[in-house]
Amino acid sequence: MEPVINHVLICTGAGCIASGSLQVNAAFQKAIRDKGLEGKVKVVETGCLGPCAVGPVVVVYPDATLYEKVQPEDVDDILTEHLYKGRIVKRLVHREAATEKLIPELNRVEFFRGQQRIVLRNCGIINPLRIEEYIARDGYQALAKVLTEMTPDQVVDVVKRSGLRGRGGAGFPTGLKWSFCRKAQGDIKYVLCNADEGDPGAFMDRSVLEGDPHSVIEAMTIAGYSIGSRQGYVYVRAEYPLAVKRLQHAIDQAREFGLLGEDIMGTGYSFDLEIRMGSGAFVCGEETALMTSIEGKRGVPRPRPPFPAQQGLWGKPSLLNNVETYANIPVIILKGADWFASMGTEKSKGTKVFALAGAVNNSGLVEVPIGVPLGDIVYDVGGGVPGGKKFKAAQMGGPSGGCIPRQHLNVPVDYESLNELGAIMGSGGLVVMDEDSCMVDVARFFLEFVQEESCGKCPPCRIGTKRMLEIVERICEGKGEEGDIERLIKLGSLIKETSLCGLGQTAPNPVLSTIRHFREEYEAHIRDKRCPAGVCADLVRAPCQNACPAGVDVPGYISLIGEKRLEEALRLHREQNPFVSACARVCFHPCESKCRRGTLDESVSIRGLKRFMADQETTPVLPEIRENEANARRKVGIVGAGPAGLSCAYFLARLGYRPTVFEAQDRPGGMLVQAIPTYRLPREALAREVRMIESMGVTIQTGQELGKSFHLTDLRQDGFQAVFLGVGARNGSRLGIPGEEAQGVSDAIQFLRQFNLTGSASVGQNVAIIGGGNAAIDAARTALRLGAKKVTILYRRTREQMPAWPEEIEEAEREGVRIHFLVAPVEVLVEDGRVAGLKCSHMKLGSFDRGGRRQPIPSEQPDSVFACDQVIAAIGQIVDPAEFLNGTQLELSRGNLIKVNRLTGQTSVSWIFSGGDSVLGPSSVVEAVAGGERAAVGIHQLLTGKQEAFWRVVKDSQTFFDPDADPVPYARGQGWMLPLDQRAENFSEVEMGFTEAIALREAKRCLRCDYREGSG
Amino acid sequence: MSKRITSPQELLRLKDTFKSETELRGEPKAIQVIVHMGTCGIAAGAREILDQLMNLLIEQQIDTVTLRQTGCIGLCDQEPMFTIKDASGQETLYGKLNESKLRRIVREHILDGKPVTEFVVNV
Amino acid sequence: MSAEPEVVSSCCPEASDAEMMERLDDVLTEYRDKPGALIPVLQIAQGMFGYLPEHVLAHIASALGKSPAEVAGVTSFYSFFSTVPRGKHLVRVCLGTACYVRGGKQVLNALKNELDIDVGQTTSDRLFTLEVGRCFGACGLAPTLMVDEDVHQRVKPAKVNEILDPYRVEDEEVAK
Repeated sequence: MEPVINHVLICTGAGCIASGSLQVNAAFQKAIRDKGLEGKVKVVETGCLGPCAVGPVVVVYPDATLYEKVQPEDVDDILTEHLYKGRIVKRLVHREAATEKLIPELNRVEFFRGQQRIVLRNCGIINPLRIEEYIARDGYQALAKVLTEMTPDQVVDVVKRSGLRGRGGAGFPTGLKWSFCRKAQGDIKYVLCNADEGDPGAFMDRSVLEGDPHSVIEAMTIAGYSIGSRQGYVYVRAEYPLAVKRLQHAIDQAREFGLLGEDIMGTGYSFDLEIRMGSGAFVCGEETALMTSIEGKRGVPRPRPPFPAQQGLWGKPSLLNNVETYANIPVIILKGADWFASMGTEKSKGTKVFALAGAVNNSGLVEVPIGVPLGDIVYDVGGGVPGGKKFKAAQMGGPSGGCIPRQHLNVPVDYESLNELGAIMGSGGLVVMDEDSCMVDVARFFLEFVQEESCGKCPPCRIGTKRMLEIVERICEGKGEEGDIERLIKLGSLIKETSLCGLGQTAPNPVLSTIRHFREEYEAHIRDKRCPAGVCADLVRAPCQNACPAGVDVPGYISLIGEKRLEEALRLHREQNPFVSACARVCFHPCESKCRRGTLDESVSIRGLKRFMADQETTPVLPEIRENEANARRKVGIVGAGPAGLSCAYFLARLGYRPTVFEAQDRPGGMLVQAIPTYRLPREALAREVRMIESMGVTIQTGQELGKSFHLTDLRQDGFQAVFLGVGARNGSRLGIPGEEAQGVSDAIQFLRQFNLTGSASVGQNVAIIGGGNAAIDAARTALRLGAKKVTILYRRTREQMPAWPEEIEEAEREGVRIHFLVAPVEVLVEDGRVAGLKCSHMKLGSFDRGGRRQPIPSEQPDSVFACDQVIAAIGQIVDPAEFLNGTQLELSRGNLIKVNRLTGQTSVSWIFSGGDSVLGPSSVVEAVAGGERAAVGIHQLLTGKQEAFWRVVKDSQTFFDPDADPVPYARGQGWMLPLDQRAENFSEVEMGFTEAIALREAKRCLRCDYREGSG
Repeated sequence: MSKRITSPQELLRLKDTFKSETELRGEPKAIQVIVHMGTCGIAAGAREILDQLMNLLIEQQIDTVTLRQTGCIGLCDQEPMFTIKDASGQETLYGKLNESKLRRIVREHILDGKPVTEFVVNV
Repeated sequence: MSAEPEVVSSCCPEASDAEMMERLDDVLTEYRDKPGALIPVLQIAQGMFGYLPEHVLAHIASALGKSPAEVAGVTSFYSFFSTVPRGKHLVRVCLGTACYVRGGKQVLNALKNELDIDVGQTTSDRLFTLEVGRCFGACGLAPTLMVDEDVHQRVKPAKVNEILDPYRVEDEEVAK
């Protein structure tokens, strides 16, 4: 016999076959023949290895090198490089997302590192079509042991003591089920396997049947011996033709080897198996319905008791477990109950297989000890959420389960903990959802599912879910009514209590759990007629527009730019947002992260196009203004000339008002002039838009500070009928550590404001900036321009967690700013009253916080001292209500923010309105614009009783669009940046914007999600 | 011939027969022999060394060794070479190998655990 | 030894109805005495005929000693059984959770447009029947669709044509 040196394992699970693994297999067979390596290299077709998303996967042994996304044309390289010369083919090897490092060994890839494979012990390792390979890896040894060394009672006892619980849903103790069935009276008993894996999102049963079918056959035979049965049935759903084929093949082989059928291994025990295929009815996954279906009838459930253990299939005692449960049995028998019980939690032993899918980097099948935190599965095994998006929820348990939100990422995945949160372990479907999933839509999806799959036998399930679906559907269509949420909860509870079988009893769970954890999203649909995730078609014109807090018609102005109709484009933008020029420079562009073009290549550079449009504006393009003498006489005061206040004034002016704005500083603009450095926003770019607002009939009085120059009550006495408070969050948060009082310690807002308003600020040689937001970056780049020799940002979390814009971080680093991660200051070291250094703790990432991010916790590393002579804290801003509360009874919310009606901006005092940072805490310009607009509409309604936001009406821009044309293939446009050597010690604008040619091309990249059949 | 297994003992025997089918995919064995198979190594006869070693292992029924291949390590004048990594993690590099050297290394190092110092390449 | 369950969905145009009924009789002889035979027989019959015509159902009912009503009840309960002719190829779009959140609905809409039929309908050339599936267990590759037994992964709505074309060509070649 010629010695085999390498095994090449090719995954032929259904997933990898869909990705083309059969072609890869053929290429290997041919290449091995061509190169004369037959006998030296053995190619093995295996079942599912797990990481389906990077399929087809190939593993080369004995090195256990994992190759991903292997195509037929890669086969030659693997053969000549790896198999012939021992050199790993790097381009096909896994690259760790966090570190970019190449990881060739299977067991070191993060997807496999955290796994413990018992159920999947053979999946992806053996050829499922060869019983020899199963036998070589201890296959059927457990059966031999049971038949020769153990009594049926002893077998039941081992299963009981192992603590194994049913893996198909509710987690009933398996040993107990076996003992009921063992004790049941009857000459004929049946062993049944539920492979009707109907929960969408779960496919572990399919993978076990496809990858290791003998483990199920062996386990069912063991079960048959222990309960006294001679016949078993495996009920497989019809959607799994490959699983059926491989299982049938395995059954035939087992019969041939005398491991199934009459007189197994000469021990006198006989047991046989048959496959029954489902015919597309979800309810047949329910145990009583499954048995009715095997009997050849309509698969409707029946009431219990009698339980299947007493009267099951054809009225005989029957034992029903699912595939995954069975796959554990042979290992438990061989390694013992104690070994199995040493894994997992107190009440849930062993491991659980999860089908990780949805918005996660490494999707596929994973097996982990029960009780690991959900976040570890999503982030460590799954590699986190792709595209820099935020984790929103994990749907667990399919249509019977629920959604777990990000504040519960630490939940241990075991039966009890998940139940407490309104989800279930279920069969192990784990679908990760990011911010692009609408939870109301998800609830609708599952309701529609159970509605269609309800067998109709009992009214609560048949009619109740229909009523629930109608309510959820109207919520999604924007026709939801107050009280709908309560109606859903009431109906749901009723259905749970009164339905006949598990399907109905759990059907309301997806709705109830999303209401529990995402109630505000339901409310947004019902009250604001908004779908925050941008999913519900009736509420969303285009995802970018939906994502814009101000609701700017993005596809409209972009298509107008594409037709060089710039004046119309500017006017359309100003329908919702006056600050074209300012937002073109500082907006954090939530529109771009929702842009559908991003799923094709990269999002449209919406901000870049806005900048181009702003740069072309020579004379101010004014929006429609409806003069109104009555409104002009109504006195409205606005406190604070920041983006919120100016926006409120702007929209009031469009309704014919002539409001007065009181600004404490000498210059209007709020944070835009006080905090944002001029290299990002040249002051003239802003001043022009402020002058435009003034030209519309708005008066701005500077040097008027609320609480010092005047009080709110004064305004009332002066005849102001309504007042808008746009005072912002003006003060920096303090560090709260010793030494903070030293000279040289300040906060970022104080530092930036001083420089921006006076033109000078003292800066040290060696500046330490604490924080990871945009203010930290602004302070750092400003300090550098003011002549600091060394500027270091200290951040307690990691780069991925920095809230600052990535492009700003990148520019700061290019300019020479250094960033240290995972360090937190504990003390400012002081000499002679001045900063002498900063003592910092080193951090590491621990468990998840309520925001779904891993929390920094002190590491074992000893504290270090950073030498510095100036410390700037950029760790947040606060609102100081003492400044303006004088004499008014404004209600505040947590964190001293002003409480308002979120549709009108009205505070608890009817004539006072508010918006922007003083309501939201530190937020963005565009959110402030939106807050100002809502308050303007609210004020008008208060004063006139009329709802008259004429600008909110959708406009048809009459631009050309061919829906049948393919998207243009250009990559995202890049603007010019000021060269590095021209940035030092000056504040010239860094971003230079698009040329016309680039802008016109870029505008054409828009996919026009706003286009509707028959319009445009 | 019937494949029917008529006793649990026969199943055990079958397991031994089939063991070689999958053992390459298990955990690496106590001793690993890593043959350096760069272009230079192959030219110097590394592939023949690999085959001879494989045959020796089968001939002498040694099942404590995993054979692996790797690329050139940059000592081309010493080719053909291999590294023996034993259970303790100790690595020994052998160079200028031929069949007779191979037999001694198998006997003395792999079976008796004593490195054959005169064939060792010192780096 | 039991026969391997039939899962083929393509019909055999070359066999005459009488021949098919003969084959059905063989199946019925094999299954007649098995408990719970009705559903496996219906599955095989649908595989042979492409759907379940009325006379086939009547024949099965009498051969297995069941009332036509019972057979009709079972046929209408399970979504896989069809009593109307279906297309040569069954196109099923997965609307399982993972596919749904990954855009399965857009894929379905694209197919409806492309084939100009609604879910449950068959194209006028009898080539394709469009249906919705509930998870094919290829969630890691969402969105997916199945044409007969082939799973197609990461389907882009704009490219559904490229998936259907080979099945069209194959059909033309057969026609030649």
